[in-house]
Amino acid sequence: MTVPIELIYRYPWLPSLKEFFSDIASKPPSEFISTIFSETFSEEIQERLFEIFKAAFDNLENVSYYKLDKVNVYLYLLLKILMVVLDNKIITNKIANLYSKINYNDLIKENDYNIYSICEDLKLDILYSDPMEYGVNILKDQRELLKTSFRIYYTDYLKLISNLHDEYRKLVNNALSNGYVFIQKRSLIRLIQEYIRNKFEVKEDKASLESLKKELLNLQEFKELYENILSQWELKKEVFEYSFDISFKEGADISNTFPPCINEILSKSQEGQNLIHIERLFLVFFLHALNYPVDKIIDIFSTMPDFARDKTAYQVNFAKKKGYTPHKCTTLKSLNLCMAAKYKDKICLEGYYSKKQDAQKKIKHPLFYVQLKQFRASRKENHPNNNLKNNNERK
Amino acid sequence: MSENKLLKKLFQAYYRENKSKIPIVDLLEHREFGFIPWDKQIMIRHMAFKNVELLKKYLADNGSRHVYSSGTLYLQPDNLNMNNKQYQGCDLVIDIDVDHFETPCKTNHDYWYCVECGKSGKGMMNKCPKCGKRKLRNLNWICDICLDIAKRDIISLIYDFLFPDFGIDEKDLKIAFSGHRGYHLKVENKKMRGLSSGDRREIVDYITGSNISLEILGLKNLSLNLSLLRDNIGWSKKIILKIEEVLKNYSNDIIIKLFKGKQFGLSNDTIEFILNNKQNFLEILWNIEGFGPKKWETFLYGIIKEIGIRIDDPVSIDIHRLIRYPGSLHGKTGFKVQELSIKELDTFNPLDESNKNLDPIVFQSDIMQKIEILEPKVPATKIKGQTYGPFSQGEIIEVPHHIAVFLLCRGVAKTA
Repeated sequence: MTVPIELIYRYPWLPSLKEFFSDIASKPPSEFISTIFSETFSEEIQERLFEIFKAAFDNLENVSYYKLDKVNVYLYLLLKILMVVLDNKIITNKIANLYSKINYNDLIKENDYNIYSICEDLKLDILYSDPMEYGVNILKDQRELLKTSFRIYYTDYLKLISNLHDEYRKLVNNALSNGYVFIQKRSLIRLIQEYIRNKFEVKEDKASLESLKKELLNLQEFKELYENILSQWELKKEVFEYSFDISFKEGADISNTFPPCINEILSKSQEGQNLIHIERLFLVFFLHALNYPVDKIIDIFSTMPDFARDKTAYQVNFAKKKGYTPHKCTTLKSLNLCMAAKYKDKICLEGYYSKKQDAQKKIKHPLFYVQLKQFRASRKENHPNNNLKNNNERK
Repeated sequence: MSENKLLKKLFQAYYRENKSKIPIVDLLEHREFGFIPWDKQIMIRHMAFKNVELLKKYLADNGSRHVYSSGTLYLQPDNLNMNNKQYQGCDLVIDIDVDHFETPCKTNHDYWYCVECGKSGKGMMNKCPKCGKRKLRNLNWICDICLDIAKRDIISLIYDFLFPDFGIDEKDLKIAFSGHRGYHLKVENKKMRGLSSGDRREIVDYITGSNISLEILGLKNLSLNLSLLRDNIGWSKKIILKIEEVLKNYSNDIIIKLFKGKQFGLSNDTIEFILNNKQNFLEILWNIEGFGPKKWETFLYGIIKEIGIRIDDPVSIDIHRLIRYPGSLHGKTGFKVQELSIKELDTFNPLDESNKNLDPIVFQSDIMQKIEILEPKVPATKIKGQTYGPFSQGEIIEVPHHIAVFLLCRGVAKTA
């Protein structure tokens, strides 16, 4: 099935783009760029492009000048090429977050038929029917009958939620029947938003990336565009980079004792990737448990696409007042936030030997991981060989 | 001749004479194989076979103690480096093994002793109750009861989860008796093969009922109307139906035993109140003295545990795991890893199977053999309707060939 061309104008990330724009899809990037700069809309596309970059660098969630026309297709392709050439994870994440959010806002206005067509084009196994009741949602004294026209095959559902670790998205907490998950239209669109965000991920290897960059930067207009974006970034980058400092300067720096689950979230944050709700909570609870200064925690969140200092400060302070405990390892595993395997972390994977119990014990809580690392570090410091070494050094 | 040499010869002979009974797994040439030989406690991994004939020849030549193949498909299954094997996908593998959970019969046939202090006892034990050390020698045995519990679990997995919820097609299911204490189930389906380890954890959570949010399912709210949730699709319906089933169909004795167990931990008074109000328990539960939200939560998690299938989670989550090859022999029992259709599963009785084609006791024979018992205590073994044992260390016994093979494979006896 092919979607109508209007949908491609609105959503150029759809696979059918290749069919409608086979002329440009088959062109090498340099030829495509030359074509763009020779078109009458050359100036307009650059203007629109800068709007997007400006909004992304300012952590905005929408752009004032965004049109769903044919130029939008060229704009999307140019954006993707620029992400490859810029080869900067932070910029890519900022653009991906903003672009997917803009698309979400448009998708939400689409009728059911168009959403179904989009899913079909994305090769998602979706069933559409008259609204079907699948349960009751009870909130305090309110009872809401749950109905939907959309069902999605569980393997597609699992792939789309793989980076969204919210508890309510877990398969076990959803209505699953005959292989299909009942899903509200809004939730389905949120999953499509995630698909769009992932479209910006740069997958090229370093060597081919370098040669492409070299080739494209030979084109004068493209070079100017590229440098213009970079200079805009240079101005923002400084603010951005200073905002990220995890080291606890007032006391001892213990960030090197953090478990991989926390390091993963911090590195995502450092790259400007959007953190989902549960990741934000876990990070805040964890840092509070280690008595990190509130200001420092707020600064970490300043890289988020939706950052608002006042709101964040309120939430971070609220969590501090409540004294929540960070999630334990089993919960993190179930939420797919455990990164032991990804980081091949020996302590997480193998545990530690308990002399008292004469047994190998598993790490059950990320805070215990910190404790263990600190204990090991202190033992190293107090080891007689280390003292000897220190004495020798003093001599 | 040492026991291992003898068993190797037996296994070689079996594989030589039963080539036609070794099934071919789907896309065999893309799977990694692993073998544990008789002379070393190591696994020979990273092997591959272009066709089943080469595998059969390998088995006949080597008579391996244990034979495994991957649920994973690779372009280069024999590449020594996991990163270079070129992963193509993995079947969903589910392992139900009674080793991992309590069964009532374990206190009858499982035995342990502490290597450190010599204390011994019956049942499942992780550390010595006397000296607190974990250096225990466990002798886990098999019986009809525990194998039947494992079978009921695999049947429930299929009929309560895989068919109605996941819509799995019967033709994509591969079921096998593991040759020892449980069953394996494989879902060979193209869409399933593309799932990541994290995606598989979601499936495991669904099947086991782990990490359910009572709040999201609407079961935590004090003003809930539980009869409404009966119509919900998914776990909330399963929970309500199970509560109703327990109250309506279970005898008072079983309910008392269940609710007193550590899963529920209800007091005698609460249990008595529930039993007296079985018909309308769900309507009046908040009027039961001492049955507050915390108890309700514990009660619900107890019910969830009753519904969830007790599978070995890591097996299903790991995308590079090797599992026993169907039709191969289990080196700890001498039994065959028997493939079964769903229809066959229903009446299958691994320790006394009447259908010759499905019988995992492949060394059955009336020929008697003399062996000497090595372990301090060996529990009774009931195979083919006959009970042998219990036995004590040093005893020289004369048993049918298949019992001798079983005891030799278990390492609790030697040839006399």
